[in-house]
Amino acid sequence: MKKKLIVKKNFLMSLFAVILGLIAGAILMFVTGSNPIEGFYYLFRGGLMNIERIGNSLATATPLIFAGLSVAFAFKTGLFNIGGAGQMLIGGLCATAVGLTFDWPKPILLTVIIIAAMIGGALWGALPGLLKARFNVHEVVATIMMNWIAYWTVFYLVPLYLKGPFLETESQRIPMAASLKVSWLTSLFSGSYINLGIFLAIIFVAITAFILERTTLGYELKAVGYNRDAAEAAGIGVNRNIVLSMAVAGALAGLGGATFYVGFASNMQIGVLPSQGFDGIAVALLGANSPWGVFAAALFFGLLHTGKGFMNAMTAIPPEIADTIIATIIYFAATSVLIERNWDKLNKFRLALRLRKSKQESLEDDSGGEQ
Amino acid sequence: MRKWLALLLVVVFVFAVVGCATEDAVVDEGEDVEEVAALRVGMVTDAGTIDDKSFNQGTWEGVLLAGQDFGLETRYLKPGGTTEADYVTEIGNLVDADFKFVVCPGFKFETAIFDVQDRYPDAKFVLIDGYPHAGDWEPVVKENVVSIFFAEHESGFLGGLAAALQLQEGEVAFIGGMEIPAVQKFNWGFQQGVLYANENYSTQVVMNADNFIYQGTFDDVAAGQVLAAAMFDKGVDAIFAAAGGVGIGAINEAKARAATGQAVWIVGVDVDQYAEGIYEGDKSIILTSAMKYIDVAAYDMIKAELDGTFPGGEILMFNAANFGIGIPKENPNLDPEVEALVAEAFAALQAGTLVVSDVQGDLFK
Repeated sequence: MKKKLIVKKNFLMSLFAVILGLIAGAILMFVTGSNPIEGFYYLFRGGLMNIERIGNSLATATPLIFAGLSVAFAFKTGLFNIGGAGQMLIGGLCATAVGLTFDWPKPILLTVIIIAAMIGGALWGALPGLLKARFNVHEVVATIMMNWIAYWTVFYLVPLYLKGPFLETESQRIPMAASLKVSWLTSLFSGSYINLGIFLAIIFVAITAFILERTTLGYELKAVGYNRDAAEAAGIGVNRNIVLSMAVAGALAGLGGATFYVGFASNMQIGVLPSQGFDGIAVALLGANSPWGVFAAALFFGLLHTGKGFMNAMTAIPPEIADTIIATIIYFAATSVLIERNWDKLNKFRLALRLRKSKQESLEDDSGGEQ
Repeated sequence: MRKWLALLLVVVFVFAVVGCATEDAVVDEGEDVEEVAALRVGMVTDAGTIDDKSFNQGTWEGVLLAGQDFGLETRYLKPGGTTEADYVTEIGNLVDADFKFVVCPGFKFETAIFDVQDRYPDAKFVLIDGYPHAGDWEPVVKENVVSIFFAEHESGFLGGLAAALQLQEGEVAFIGGMEIPAVQKFNWGFQQGVLYANENYSTQVVMNADNFIYQGTFDDVAAGQVLAAAMFDKGVDAIFAAAGGVGIGAINEAKARAATGQAVWIVGVDVDQYAEGIYEGDKSIILTSAMKYIDVAAYDMIKAELDGTFPGGEILMFNAANFGIGIPKENPNLDPEVEALVAEAFAALQAGTLVVSDVQGDLFK
C-alpha cells in the first residue's frame, strides 16, 4: 500500500516537472517571438506524425533508456555514474569490432555483439567502482576521466583497425548481418531507424526492475545506497557491492552503446562523445531512478529530440533556440527531485498549520464549552 | 486530487493566454504555405555551427543570397548528431515541411543522400564535397541529386605559393581539422605550392613534418590556439589553418601575438578570412586565404533549378578552370609582385600546363 503511494507520488512529481519544463519552453518560444502552441504542435507532430516518425522516436529513445538505466542503477547504490558516455563508447567499440571482424550468422553474431558490448561497458564501469571501493576515489571524477580515456581510445583504435578504405575518421559501415536493424522491423515502420535495440531495452528494464525489487542482490545494493555503515554492520560487503553496481551500470551503458553504434548509427565516428551518456542523467532524474520511470522518461526525451527538427522546419524558430528550448524542458524535467523536496516541505508546513488550527479550534471549543 | 486539477487548469489557462496573443499570426502563416508554390530551399548543417566562418557559413550565405535575389524562403536545420540517421531525419523534416530543395555540405552526407534520393524522388539535393553511395564508395547519383567537388589541392597550392613568395624565407606549418579528404587535399596542395616556390622562385621556406597536424575536430577553438602557440614558439612564421573552429583558435593566437609586435601569419581557408584576422585598425594577420567558392556553388545550383537547368545526376568539379577556387581578389598583406606570380600560376592551372596532385605521394601526412 505504502509503496503504491510512493510510486504515485513520484509519477505526479515527474509529471509536474514535465509540465513545468513545457511552460518554461513555452515562455522561451514566446520571448523569442514564436507561437508556443504552434511550436509544441509541430514538436509533437514531428515525433508522432506517422509510423516512420514514431519508429524514429523509439529508436532515438533506445540508447537513452540504457543510459538512464545505467545512471539509475548506480544511483540505487548511492553512486553517481557520469561515465555513461565513455561506457557507451567502449560498448560500441567492442560491438563494432566484433561486427566488423566476424562473419557468422546473424543470430549468433548479434548475441556475441551484445555480450561483447556488455563486457566492455562493465569493465569501463567497474574500474571507477574499484577505485572508489579500494582508494575512495570519488566516482564522479573517476568516471569523467574514464569518458576521456574512452574518447581517445576510440580516436586511436578506429582509424588503426576499423577504418574503411578512404576515411580516417570513421569505421567501416556495419554490414546488415551485424546490425541490430532488421528488414521486417524497418519496413513495418516504413523505413524508420528503429531496431532490435528497443526490445532489448524493454527486456533489460524488466530485468533491472526484477534485480532491484525481487533479489537479495538488489536488496543489498539498495541497502548500501541508503546507509553504507548500516549495511556494513548488517554484514553486507559494501566494497563488493560498489564494484558490482558500477559494473552493472557500465554493462547497461555499454549495451546502450551497442544499440547506438550498430543499431541507430551505421558506423562509428571518432571525436564524438555520445550526448546520450549525459542525457541519461536527466532521464534517470525524471524517471525517479525507477526502471519503468526511466523507460517512460526516455521515450519522452526521444520524442522531443525527434520532433525538434520538424518544429524547426515548420516554424521560424532557429535551431539554436530550439536546442535551448529542448534543453530547458529537460532541465526543468530533471528538477523533479527539487520539486519533490519542496513539496515535502510544503506538506509539512501545511500539516503543521492544520495541526495548529485544529488545536486552536479544539481550544476554542474547550473555551466555548466553559461558557 | 482537487489541487492537481486546479494546477492543470492553471496550466491550460497560461497556454491559452499565451496562445491567443499570437493566434492571428498562425492563421496568416498557414495560408501562406498553401498559396506559395515557389521553391523553398533548405540546408542541413554539417558538424559545427552555422557561423563557423567557413564551410557551413559559406554554404548558408550562398543559399541566403539566392533567397534574397529570387525571393525564396530559406531555412537551415542543425542535426542532433552526426550519424547518417540524424542527417536523414533532418532532411526528412525539411522535405516534409515542403522545402523540396536541400543543400547538404560535407562528405558525411554521402550515405544519407544515397538513402533520401530514393526516399524523396520529388525533392532535389545538392551534396557538396561528396557523392552519394551505399557505404561502398560506388557512386550512385540519381537524377534529383547533384554532387559537387572542389579542387582543394589547387586552392591550397595557391595559398602555399603566395605564403612562400611573401615570406621569401622562414617556416610554414599546417593545422587541419579532421583528417578528411577535403582537408587532406588542402594540406597536400599547400605543401606543393611551397615546394614550387622554393624550386622556381628560389625562396627558402622550410616545412617540418612535426608541424603538419590534424587536430581531430572542427570546433575545438582552444585546441587550435594551443597548437598555434606551440608552433609559433618553435619559430613558425605562417600557419595554414584548414580547420573550421580550430582555425579560429589559431587566428586568435596569431592576433594576440601580432598585437605585441610579433610577425606571425595565418593562411585562411574556405572563405576570405581577412576580416576575421583584424587585430588593429585594418591590419590583419591573414596573409591570404585558400578559398573554395562554396557560396557560389550553392547559389548557382539554386539558380539552375529555377532556370530549369538543374544538372541532376552529375558530379561537378569546381576548380581553377571554372573559377571554383582561388585566393581573394584583394590581399592587403601580399605584395603586388606576389599577387602577379600567383595569378600567373592560376592561369597555368587553368591552361593545364601546371598540375597539382591530389594524393599524398611523398608529402607529409
